[in-house]
Amino acid sequence: MSEALAASPAPAADFSAAGASGARQFWRRLRAQRAALVAAAVVALLVLVALAAPLLTAVEGQDPTTYHPSLVDSARGGVPVGPLGGIGADHWLGVEPQTGRDLFARLVYGARVSLGVAIAATLVQVLIAVVVGVSAALGNRWVDQVLSRMTEIIVALPLMIMSLALLAIVPGSFPRPVLVALVIGLIAWGTLAKIVRAQTLTLKQLDYVAAARLSGWGTWRIARRDLLPGLAAPLITYSALLVPMNIGVEAALSFLGVGVKPPTPSWGQMLTAADVWYQAAPQYLLLPAGALFVTVLALTVLGDGVRTALDPRAASRLRVGTGRRGEARADAGTAAGTDPLRPGTPADGTKEATA
Amino acid sequence: MRQSSVIARRVAAASVSLVVAAGAAACGPKDNDAKSSGGDSEPHKGGTLTVLNSNPQSDFDPARLYTSGGGNVPSLVFRTLTTRNRENGAAGAQVVPDLATDTGRPSKNATVWTYTLKKGLTFEDGTPITSADIKYGIERSFAAELSGGAPYLRDWLIGGADYQGPYKDKKGLDSIETPDALTIVFHLNKPEGEFPYLATQTQFTPVPKAKDTGTKYEEHPVSSGPYKVVKNENDGERLTLERNTHWSASTDAERKAYPDKIDVRSGLDSSVINQRLSSSQGADAAAVTTDTNLGPAELARVTGDKELASRVGTGHFGYTNYIAFNPKVKPFDNPKVRQAISYAIDRTSVINAAGGSSLAEPATTYLPNQKSFGYTPYDHFPAGASGNAAKAKAVLAEAGYKNGLSVTLTHSNSKDFETSPEIATAIQDALKKAGITVKLQGLEENDYSDKIHGAKTEPGFFLAHWGADWPSGGPFLAPIFDGRQIVKDGANFNTGFLDDKSVNTEIDAINKLTDLGEAAKRWGALDKKIGEQALTVPLFHPVYKRLYGKGVKNIVISDWTGVLDISQVAVK
Repeated sequence: MSEALAASPAPAADFSAAGASGARQFWRRLRAQRAALVAAAVVALLVLVALAAPLLTAVEGQDPTTYHPSLVDSARGGVPVGPLGGIGADHWLGVEPQTGRDLFARLVYGARVSLGVAIAATLVQVLIAVVVGVSAALGNRWVDQVLSRMTEIIVALPLMIMSLALLAIVPGSFPRPVLVALVIGLIAWGTLAKIVRAQTLTLKQLDYVAAARLSGWGTWRIARRDLLPGLAAPLITYSALLVPMNIGVEAALSFLGVGVKPPTPSWGQMLTAADVWYQAAPQYLLLPAGALFVTVLALTVLGDGVRTALDPRAASRLRVGTGRRGEARADAGTAAGTDPLRPGTPADGTKEATA
Repeated sequence: MRQSSVIARRVAAASVSLVVAAGAAACGPKDNDAKSSGGDSEPHKGGTLTVLNSNPQSDFDPARLYTSGGGNVPSLVFRTLTTRNRENGAAGAQVVPDLATDTGRPSKNATVWTYTLKKGLTFEDGTPITSADIKYGIERSFAAELSGGAPYLRDWLIGGADYQGPYKDKKGLDSIETPDALTIVFHLNKPEGEFPYLATQTQFTPVPKAKDTGTKYEEHPVSSGPYKVVKNENDGERLTLERNTHWSASTDAERKAYPDKIDVRSGLDSSVINQRLSSSQGADAAAVTTDTNLGPAELARVTGDKELASRVGTGHFGYTNYIAFNPKVKPFDNPKVRQAISYAIDRTSVINAAGGSSLAEPATTYLPNQKSFGYTPYDHFPAGASGNAAKAKAVLAEAGYKNGLSVTLTHSNSKDFETSPEIATAIQDALKKAGITVKLQGLEENDYSDKIHGAKTEPGFFLAHWGADWPSGGPFLAPIFDGRQIVKDGANFNTGFLDDKSVNTEIDAINKLTDLGEAAKRWGALDKKIGEQALTVPLFHPVYKRLYGKGVKNIVISDWTGVLDISQVAVK
């Protein structure tokens, strides 16, 4: 695959055309990866299921909150009646022990929470990371120092403990899914901000930015017109990997009882209720666990595919760096593996052309 | 005082889960034994009994222990003036003499109680037990450094409220008299017909003054029971008890003391305990637990296996889970609204959420469904098995809510099934059918507990539960419905703010009764009368299922504790 990519022609040095050709190249590289395509299909299906949850449960004729006491064996602790946890024409995936709530309905509604919270949290992370990262890179020494140290503190914070603390103190009247998304978003943006700062520092050194500055453009205009487009690639790459991570965090928080509140179903919450049932009603545990596994795997594979498609190094296997870039890479620290450079920038174009 | 009751209830609830009996209380554990241990079902002396627990005995000082009926492991070491009857089921809810010759002789309107000790009682070192040792044991429970016990002694004994304990006040409590070595007399500040129940608690165990080491006494308390502590490791995490050779069965009709040695191991996860008991390997075959019961999922697994099912005991403990209303909060000031919710409740769903019909019995009375509490059946607002939505709607319409209403139900987020989100959502689902929209407010457990017991912070509609310090209507009804016990600042348990003169005077009148059977009837009648006000919606009384090892015999579970009584079990 990388052979094919390496052979692909470099984008034009003319950067008015760079965007379009970069996108084309990106799609071509992504399509070349079969695993990524399958993952993309799975993700699309999951999103579709989440969006169509009311429709799907209407077809099944169930909803996620109605109790069915007659479908569980009360004398035996509430284990579902019938084989395989009560799977049948009425209840496609069986029913929940003790309550008799429909598991299919809870699973598809749970997808809404898992995906919705994860994507919203990712957007918050990207927004904060861009503002902090770009400001640090473009600001004077003091701004950079303050923002960078702040970022380091955020990176050092233990995510789960901070989330638990924050979620415990916010009053229950605040809409819970929004809160969970905000809390995850507000705590886990540090690494991304470091990547943005490093990338911005790199871009700042490039000729076209210097040219823009010489022609009298203000910092704001340079950031908006010249830098942000250059940041798109690392942002997309890293966010694609952040989404599955955020799904895991949401599930963990719900598992610990501070995520979304009942009766709203969520996968993490289902897991926490199901953990004691693994012997008596295994499907109850396997369904949310399987859903989480498939979702996180698909998103991760897709994210990896996106990273490969955007990473010029995967194409050229060439590394030519300026002193400034080396410094930037060191700064990115943990993110070194996901330090993609924007394809289509003149520098990269040159490199690939040389290859 | 009430805050302590909370602890008591937790302790009691924990111990409750211990119940290991055969089938229901009705079916004797002896039948089970015969089945599981083949030919020789007779209990014999000898062997080591292992106790697998989750909560360590971190307080093993008789002054600090808060027990119902003297506790389980503590009761092996500490004999008390009276104790609980070590029998299965309802018979086990009776109070019987222990160190004393009877359960107490009342006089002066039940304000003076006199006890005479049996002859020939000795401590583990052979020195005789005297009434002065019992007085000293009670006095030291007043010391600030040994606090933790039930509040009743402080509330009931004349001068108890100001007494600082024997370390600060050498003179002692004048309201406890010891006219001779075998007689002890208690003077109370009000009639308390239930004093014999109180005398079962570990504060009534003798403590020899010469051996008192203050806060260190718990490491090696001087035994008056069939076993003595030979080792206490990691602050009660592991206790090793061996026979007290100075104990004699001739003065103790209650404790059987079959095993030679008792090894109490705690700090274990409840699922680990149940797993170890179910596989019953090695020493675990002779193991029981006194604080872990089977959860719904474990029960589902156990009932599918004949061999395991034969090793499950069932116990009842006086306990009620209910919905509480705060009539100061609208719309719950309107009795019709409270009644409508009572009619709408689906007890089948609630019980399923609590673990199913084997782990909970539907409740329509506030008092537990046991004779010793004075259980008097009533169902003022019949909801049937799954709720009467039509009747609820009609009552709501009368109250002026033709188009339904929206309310908030407060519960704890804890996984503990009693007030858990599962039960709250079951109620939410049932009330929806009656046109009542329920919003759930789940609080972190401590926050929840503080809020519902603060007169100013109490929510209008919340899940609650209550268990008694002993099996009688008194400690069940008085704290919750006696108007004089409303606490404006601090922990308040009269959550319905009921201050009804006729209720208050009836409580006083029953407290004067020394015939406990007669008192029980009156408590039952009072419960029925209070029930008309719909200040609570009783939901269920929990039932406790306990697994025990393959080699364990002579299972006794009383309705007092609902727990397997380890003074009765044999492993040989």
